[in-house]
Amino acid sequence: MTPAPIRAPDHLTLALPKGRILEEAISLLSRAGLPLTLPQKSRALRHEFPGITVLELRNQDVPVYVDLGVADAGIVGKDVLTESGREVYEPVDLRFAACRLSLIREVGAAAPLVRVGTKYPRVARAYLNARGIPAEVVKLGGNIELAALTGLAEAVIDLVQTGSTLQANNLEEVDVLFESSARLIVNRAALKLRRGRLRPLIERLRTIVGEESQTRR
Amino acid sequence: MPPVSSPTRAPSPPPSAPIPEGTRDVLPPEWEQREALRTRLSGLFGSWGYRGVEVPALEYADARHPQDARAFKLIDSGGQVLALRSEFTTAIGRMVRARFAGGPFPLRLHYSGRLWLRALTSELGRLREFGQTGVELIGKEGARADAELLHLAAAALMEVGVSAELEVGFPGFVDAVLEDAGLHGSAREALHGAVDRKSGADIDLLSSQHGLSGEVTRTLHALTDLYGGPEVLDAAAGLAQGGRARAAVGHLRDVAALYNHTLLYDLGASRRYDYYTGLTFRAYAAGPNQPVLGGGRYTLDGGLPGAGFAVGLERLLRAAAPQLPPQPEVVLALDAAGAGAARGAGLCAELAWTDDLAELQQYSVARGIRRWARGSDLFDAGVNP
Repeated sequence: MTPAPIRAPDHLTLALPKGRILEEAISLLSRAGLPLTLPQKSRALRHEFPGITVLELRNQDVPVYVDLGVADAGIVGKDVLTESGREVYEPVDLRFAACRLSLIREVGAAAPLVRVGTKYPRVARAYLNARGIPAEVVKLGGNIELAALTGLAEAVIDLVQTGSTLQANNLEEVDVLFESSARLIVNRAALKLRRGRLRPLIERLRTIVGEESQTRR
Repeated sequence: MPPVSSPTRAPSPPPSAPIPEGTRDVLPPEWEQREALRTRLSGLFGSWGYRGVEVPALEYADARHPQDARAFKLIDSGGQVLALRSEFTTAIGRMVRARFAGGPFPLRLHYSGRLWLRALTSELGRLREFGQTGVELIGKEGARADAELLHLAAAALMEVGVSAELEVGFPGFVDAVLEDAGLHGSAREALHGAVDRKSGADIDLLSSQHGLSGEVTRTLHALTDLYGGPEVLDAAAGLAQGGRARAAVGHLRDVAALYNHTLLYDLGASRRYDYYTGLTFRAYAAGPNQPVLGGGRYTLDGGLPGAGFAVGLERLLRAAAPQLPPQPEVVLALDAAGAGAARGAGLCAELAWTDDLAELQQYSVARGIRRWARGSDLFDAGVNP
């Protein structure tokens, strides 16, 4: 194992998910004053900026890197964060990548739930347990809606953004588990050890997000 | 199916027997380094008047034990359910009630040993078997007892060369502020979690679900920002309405005055420390984003007050290793006199088992031994004077 590099106390390591969120995250963080630019398409997994290292990760891995302290902070959707069960601080709702996690069934379906397909087994289990529904949770990797259409499951728990996929496939949202959006998450020790950099960053992000939601209204 | 041996392939080494996930072998030089830490900490605790004790690794399982859900369980020969020790303070508390019921108090004890948990926890570097060393100060409470533990924690880290920042919390403060805001039952429970995660979004969500006023919501948000230096106490005093909250801030001011060194504060920490009844503290070392020490004030079964802290030896070693003095050099002694002379000079001496110098040379290279000893001579390995 490579020992953790000794970093200057004011160096920040950020865990960001690759793909669309990365672009929005970099843009937001640079508006908040961090010297970041969108990395060129390359095979690099780690990007160095003055005083900042950016780790480009799968979004499920962001809470892991932050909780275990390899990254000081990161940006990840509330859906992924809740599913991870990781104990990190989540001081700012960044309000982009908005969607909701919903219980979805074929339109008019009324049979009792025996199996529920989902990419979010932990969240699904908690939701079903809280309602006393003794259904089996089946962990799936993608195209979750298909499970409800093929009879693999009586319902699925999945993300809904606009609902157009649901309409096109004769599916409907029966219940909304929670609303999700991108969150700034921070390692519990890093918030204290690197407060000189993180606290102002949190405050600037809150201001920016607050102003933007004002103008959008 | 019987194993089929392939004549063309070299025999592979026998498969190594697995060990359970979350356990590990401790090898040289880690073992020596870890024991050196343990010895220095025990010595320091002893010099502060804390006396060493040992408690059994096997305990009776008890549903009221704070780690009961996570402890390994075994069935005793008589059918009783036993648990492997999962936490020290409860075990020390049991011993104190049985063996030191009459004091004298304050009773100062230190301990060191292993703990086991069934669940892997990232907090402990995902180990299910790990070592802890710590102290308990039992039978007295108040600012002076709390400040003593902060002083001792700082001294312990300094003793092993780890520079760290101490952070103080008071989980009851959040609860008191929530109570003063008129929150009860499940709303208070849920808000404890949101405040502890410093989640402004969850606070807004819960505030609208429970119809909280704008003023209460602002107070809840303010709780999530109550971390940092001494200015935190002033901000906390501004939020403290009722007697419990004001007493908590007053107590922290008293402890800070007695401690009289730099302290960090986090008065928004609430959820995870149900077990603690007063001040809590942890130490963050520069570098790894994990605390190296943690503790706080609690009440033992039967009502005796106590407070203490523990350090995880594995984690402390990672922070302390660069500062540890190097191990003495190991030499290979070709005769008993050489071994005696080398040991007398503060080196470690291994004894040669053969006169075959080529074999000894090969071993020395593999083992990293650079010098040999014979009689009163110490010379480069392989050179035969």
